[in-house]
Amino acid sequence: MNLAIIGCGGMGGNHAQFATNCGLNLVACGDSHKKKAQALAKRFGAEATDDCMALCRRDDVDIVGIMTPTPTHSAYVIAAAEAGKHIFCEKPFGRTVDECLAAEAAVKKAGVRLFVGHVVRYFHEFEAIRAQIEAGKAGNVGFVKAYRGGIFPQGEDMWFRDYEQSGGVTFDSSIHDYDWIRYVFGDVERVFCQALQRDDAIDYALVTLRMKSGVIAHVIGTWAHPAGFRVKVEVCGDNGMITYDNAEAPISSMMRQVEGGQPTMIVPANPVETSPYQLEWVDFLAALEGKGEPKVTPEDATWAVRIASAALESAKSGEPVTL
Amino acid sequence: MAKMGIMSFAHMHAYSYAACLNELPEAEFVAVWDDDAGRGAAAASQFGTTFIADLEEFLGSGIDGVIVTSENVKHRAMVERAAAAGKWILCEKPLATTPADCQAMIKACADAKVGLGTAFPCRYIQSLLAVKQQIDNGDFGAIYAASCTNNGQFPGGWFAQMDLAGGGATMDHTVHVADVLRWMLGKEFTKVYCENGHLLGRDTDLDDAGCLQMEMEGGVIISHIASWNRAKSFPTWGDVTLELIGEKGVVYIDSFNQKLNVYNDDAMKTEWAFWGDNPDLGLVADFVAAVDEKREPSVTGVDGMRALEVTVAAYKAAAEGRTAAVQRAAC
Repeated sequence: MNLAIIGCGGMGGNHAQFATNCGLNLVACGDSHKKKAQALAKRFGAEATDDCMALCRRDDVDIVGIMTPTPTHSAYVIAAAEAGKHIFCEKPFGRTVDECLAAEAAVKKAGVRLFVGHVVRYFHEFEAIRAQIEAGKAGNVGFVKAYRGGIFPQGEDMWFRDYEQSGGVTFDSSIHDYDWIRYVFGDVERVFCQALQRDDAIDYALVTLRMKSGVIAHVIGTWAHPAGFRVKVEVCGDNGMITYDNAEAPISSMMRQVEGGQPTMIVPANPVETSPYQLEWVDFLAALEGKGEPKVTPEDATWAVRIASAALESAKSGEPVTL
Repeated sequence: MAKMGIMSFAHMHAYSYAACLNELPEAEFVAVWDDDAGRGAAAASQFGTTFIADLEEFLGSGIDGVIVTSENVKHRAMVERAAAAGKWILCEKPLATTPADCQAMIKACADAKVGLGTAFPCRYIQSLLAVKQQIDNGDFGAIYAASCTNNGQFPGGWFAQMDLAGGGATMDHTVHVADVLRWMLGKEFTKVYCENGHLLGRDTDLDDAGCLQMEMEGGVIISHIASWNRAKSFPTWGDVTLELIGEKGVVYIDSFNQKLNVYNDDAMKTEWAFWGDNPDLGLVADFVAAVDEKREPSVTGVDGMRALEVTVAAYKAAAEGRTAAVQRAAC
């Protein structure tokens, strides 16, 4: 099957690799910055364009991958769906719940498949935590804490710095944890959030989720650190605890600086044979072949946006938001 | 030489404070009183001192200062008796379970012209002292946000009873960190949101898990976990951690992470052996010096009340499902 990718920044390049690893043929790359589209297209022998809407409608395209800034997602999803394409959309699904619902409706009407990349559901460590919970190792769980983040992301044209566009760490990054917590512990009853959202690119979000089951979840998101990327999870129950910290990894390396420059290479600290990003494509492509449902449904992706939107609303009002 | 006594060994911290009294050359640990005579006599024997069953006799035995380590709700009556007898007092945290009780205790000590301290040993933890120094130096610039924990194993006993503890994990594990933040940042708390409940199956009807969100003056945003969430099989009793987000940098402090991993086949669980300085020793040494110098202890009764007011706001917020303003009582 033929793939087109819209949005040729870091995530676009990432997905181009993993999708082609799965046997997809990348035929076209679109980006409003044509040079980015050309650079990625060259790597994969594809065509480049800055007309992303036209790319959604190309006859030779079966799947459209949408890796652009969040507020543009729904328009591309709707265009691709109307053209009868299957769609892989990066998270967050949309910037508002209404955008998500409009995109969902378009997909349903067109009878195409939509997958939203809530990749944490595919991370080995998160699946292992879920397995331990399901095996009862913590007993009945009453409290969950998730911590994620590090340096403020760059993104194309520094678009993350525009909190209206990106929603900051509260929306863009902690949505991984809202989705995973809902995946494992069910629906959310209410949301409370305090967030920094400073203009000098320091953001920090403190979110409390009260689940319908009664479980309390605390989600901490940071784009306030000068460097690094940290993920920590803690699950507490009536018969035990499960904790995870990505600082505990099999490889620790330190590369010597070359004269007057950056270190020459980065060694991954925590390699796995198959990347979770590739597992997303495997799951999505299996669904396209009629082999079951993927782990993430469009409804799940809308729910994640609903929780993230409630967090921003709470941060603004200073009071909890009931869903 | 300050003559010291301990009133009640109901709280496990009494055993650590007693050991500190024996360790400090400036202190003489002369007597124990306890409303549980068997417990008091055993403790007196353990620490090589005298048990006095009668409270008046204990207060009249020539002691200069007392450490009150009873159940939370008994603090007020014991502090008032000791103050009336002219004793300097160090009271276990929380100072009391209501701001009104705190106010009465502070007034009783002021009227009797005796010092009243709240037992917040975190102020003597070396890692927290070091970071406070850096904050005071301006190394981190303004502090914008913090996420904190005071996680612990379930203590059981009277901690599980409303009529003795005055609340569950939120009561037990909010005040230490509330005090540390007031001390480190020099700001007061303004409002609190809290989700809590009996969620971890601990043997109590009280809340065993609390998740607080707080704001301090100037809009500093803070979250805090006050919880009995540590499993019995966890390698230690719990933790005090703070991540501070500042203008010039961030810092994470895991206060008790000066430890050895101990794998012992009799225990059949990993245990952490703490090797850092004992913060209780700093706390008790300051109190002994306060008694000797007839001055207020460094961490006062008002500090105890201000921390308790955060706890009270947390329970109010949890009951009402919205934020609660932190009401600061007069003192």
